[in-house]
Amino acid sequence: MILTVFFVLFLGLPVIRLLCRSFSGEDGGVTLSVYQSVFQQKKFGQALGNSFLIAALAAGLATIVAFILAYTCYYTNLPKRFKNIIRLAAMLPMFLPTITYGFAIIYSFGHQGLITKTLGHTLPFELYGIFGLLVGYSVYTIPVAFLLVSNTMQYIDKKVMIVSKVMGDKAHATFWIAIVRPLLGTLCGAFIQAFFLSFTDFGIPASVGGRFEVVASVLYDQMLGGIPNFGKGAAVAMIMLLPSIVSICLLQYLERFNIRYKKISDAELSQNVVRDVVWSILSVIALVLMLCIFVVIFVAPFVTDWPNKISFSMEHFVSVFTDSDLLSIYGNTLAMAVLSAAAGTLAAYGAALVTARSRMPKWCKGVVEGIAMVTNTIPGMVLGVAYMFVFSGTSLQNTMGLLIICNVIHYFSSPYLMMKNSLSKLNESWETTAGLMGDSWIKTIIRIVTPNVKESLWSVFGYYFTNSCVTVSAIIFLVGSRTMVLTTKIKQLQYLNKFNEVFVLSLLIFFTNLIAKALFAGLAKYKPMRVTQKLFQKKETLC
Amino acid sequence: MLKRRIMSMGLAVMLAATAMTGCGNSAKSGSSDSADKKVVIYSNADDEAITAMQNALDNNGYKGKYSFEGFGTSELGGKLLAEGKNIEADMVTMSTFYLDSAQKQNNMFKKLDFEVNTIDKFGDYAAPITSQEGAIILNTDLMKELKLTTPTCLKDLTKSEYKGHLSITDVKSSSTAWLLMQALISEYGEKEAQNILKQIYINAGDHIEDSGSAPLKLCRAGEVAIGFGLRHQAVADKEDGQPIDFVDPTEGNFSLTESVAVIDKGDKSNPEAMKMAQCIIENGRKELQQSYPNPLYKGESSDNKNKSKYPRPSQSRLPLNCMRSISSYLMR
Repeated sequence: MILTVFFVLFLGLPVIRLLCRSFSGEDGGVTLSVYQSVFQQKKFGQALGNSFLIAALAAGLATIVAFILAYTCYYTNLPKRFKNIIRLAAMLPMFLPTITYGFAIIYSFGHQGLITKTLGHTLPFELYGIFGLLVGYSVYTIPVAFLLVSNTMQYIDKKVMIVSKVMGDKAHATFWIAIVRPLLGTLCGAFIQAFFLSFTDFGIPASVGGRFEVVASVLYDQMLGGIPNFGKGAAVAMIMLLPSIVSICLLQYLERFNIRYKKISDAELSQNVVRDVVWSILSVIALVLMLCIFVVIFVAPFVTDWPNKISFSMEHFVSVFTDSDLLSIYGNTLAMAVLSAAAGTLAAYGAALVTARSRMPKWCKGVVEGIAMVTNTIPGMVLGVAYMFVFSGTSLQNTMGLLIICNVIHYFSSPYLMMKNSLSKLNESWETTAGLMGDSWIKTIIRIVTPNVKESLWSVFGYYFTNSCVTVSAIIFLVGSRTMVLTTKIKQLQYLNKFNEVFVLSLLIFFTNLIAKALFAGLAKYKPMRVTQKLFQKKETLC
Repeated sequence: MLKRRIMSMGLAVMLAATAMTGCGNSAKSGSSDSADKKVVIYSNADDEAITAMQNALDNNGYKGKYSFEGFGTSELGGKLLAEGKNIEADMVTMSTFYLDSAQKQNNMFKKLDFEVNTIDKFGDYAAPITSQEGAIILNTDLMKELKLTTPTCLKDLTKSEYKGHLSITDVKSSSTAWLLMQALISEYGEKEAQNILKQIYINAGDHIEDSGSAPLKLCRAGEVAIGFGLRHQAVADKEDGQPIDFVDPTEGNFSLTESVAVIDKGDKSNPEAMKMAQCIIENGRKELQQSYPNPLYKGESSDNKNKSKYPRPSQSRLPLNCMRSISSYLMR
């Protein structure tokens, strides 16, 4: 109930406000003329088509890579340390603000790029356009896809595989029955998430899109170009919302493929060196390709002036860290990230409980699903502009609270899916059993369900934390002089062409996220010991 | 055990930091209602201009009494148009044409209560701080490597040898492109200008950028040999020892102005804001002119080593609707 009010207020209201804007003509009456003029632009249809194409390609690629990485983590006998490295490496792109992606690609693959120079010749194909976008988008979306896929994979019963083998299924049939089929819902979910992330991002096409026009850059031009036109921008944003309806239906349909298990058992995997080697090679190739783009970010800040004056220098670090504002900005960033994470985890968990583990009417669950998909389809910039319309003049304007609310809404979709996937993998009869034993639904949730999804809860917390650290597109419109955060500072520096400082701050965000990630991972594994256990342990050490 | 302890300590520190900054914020916003609150200035100006304005304020007793927040032109423009008088800032410095349209739409600026003795006419709510010129930017290393001839005018940019090595900004999204357009139109007339512009667009191909600073950025990164961008940025890069040079096109260095304006917040207005605006204009122009040499006020000279070769007075400013018609022509 509270959740509904929250979303109506902070998602519904801004969206409706925008919708009105897109239908109002210059005289203030209701009209379709804005939409007409948008569709009359010849390039608009083409941009829309381009967007669909490139977002689908990138999402497909990201989902496949994510599957390979997750599979390597859960279905091979590789050393645990190696798996942990994969897990971490797959998430690394998420730790950097997306503003840096464009630079990273140009500084890597461009004429003077690090990779171009290392290899000694330029790319055999054009960087600007499809290739640049494909690289940018897939690297950007792999972490999310990996999170979703691996999150579900840990709840798949591996004994099914053994049963399938015992029954005499062929290898590919086993693969299908025991792994792909139970994952189908999640794989599609991951694809859709990746698709919309690419569909709505405008930072990457702005730097490497070339002549390949996509709908997100049309939106940017209309909303904030040289001649801003909020009405047209709103119309474009509304058109961009349409695909989310299709995806809601698709996800509903795929619901039936989700399989529940009574118990998740960790069966020993059979020894198979060929399998292990092949999957690990695939993973390593994928990760190396993905991460090589970011090497330049770790090199450039230590150089006097990349790529023209290449000598070691710490001056950029000094200039950034002697800035007196940095401490308060960093404090703001941490505060925003922690609070967004706490609020976001609560919201995602609550919503996922409604859809996955309650007996609420079907339409109710549909509404929650719808909200989740819509949050994913609204570009951050549109959310930011809509918030400006609705909340300027109120006491929320320029406050930390509004930034947190904005983040919770903006990133709601993936955490919600993660929570829902984990919750729906748990045995369905728990509530009934607990009910029979006299526990209320709430009690069951707190005492039984929550401890069982602790790891997912922490990864959701981490997801929100990280994204709040790196986000800029929406909050750039909402920060005030007392609520500046690191990414808005980066945006300022970028505007002033101080790229080396941009990279330094990106590294600061990167390492903050790395430490936070380690912390959250540790907390996820932390199990409070009972007194008897402690005694037992003491006895052991004494012996 | 140790690991766990470290972790819980880490979390505790983090929460404490959060709580502290949280309190810090509320404390700040608590005191912000009192009379001595800082004047908030939103600005899209470049570093040199912000430093000059800060010096003017600091040297005249306003040190610590204001805070500057930088934004990109499009973000600040969006904020002005969408938030109107509700904007957090007490004062803004921004491209003049944006201030004009924000004033027209939201009637949000105060009439300036000090004398603004400009050469050209400005709205009574805006006092210009800088005049920014456009110029052709070159990456000297790449020019040599590709054996390109140095262009002397904008029409030269249509030459086929520059194809793929040129970057310009998009008329749809950046005001820097308007400087290019204005120069072409005034020299060749509207019809011919459109043809030339079209050819330049073809040469620029993949590098038609949204942001005014992008062509210089690409020149610096060695992605393109030639760009069209803001002159003072190129001057700064050249002085900095980058392989960057610039050419003043014979069609003229057209200019856009940025102005300061004070937000009208009714009785909530901070009276200090108007005084600071006056202080910036009266005491900041000298330093501002070092990076942006064009004279804006009566009595100013433009005798400066950074002076451009073919400065054009800004009366020849193009009206907004003309921009619109040309940009829609190019989109066809």
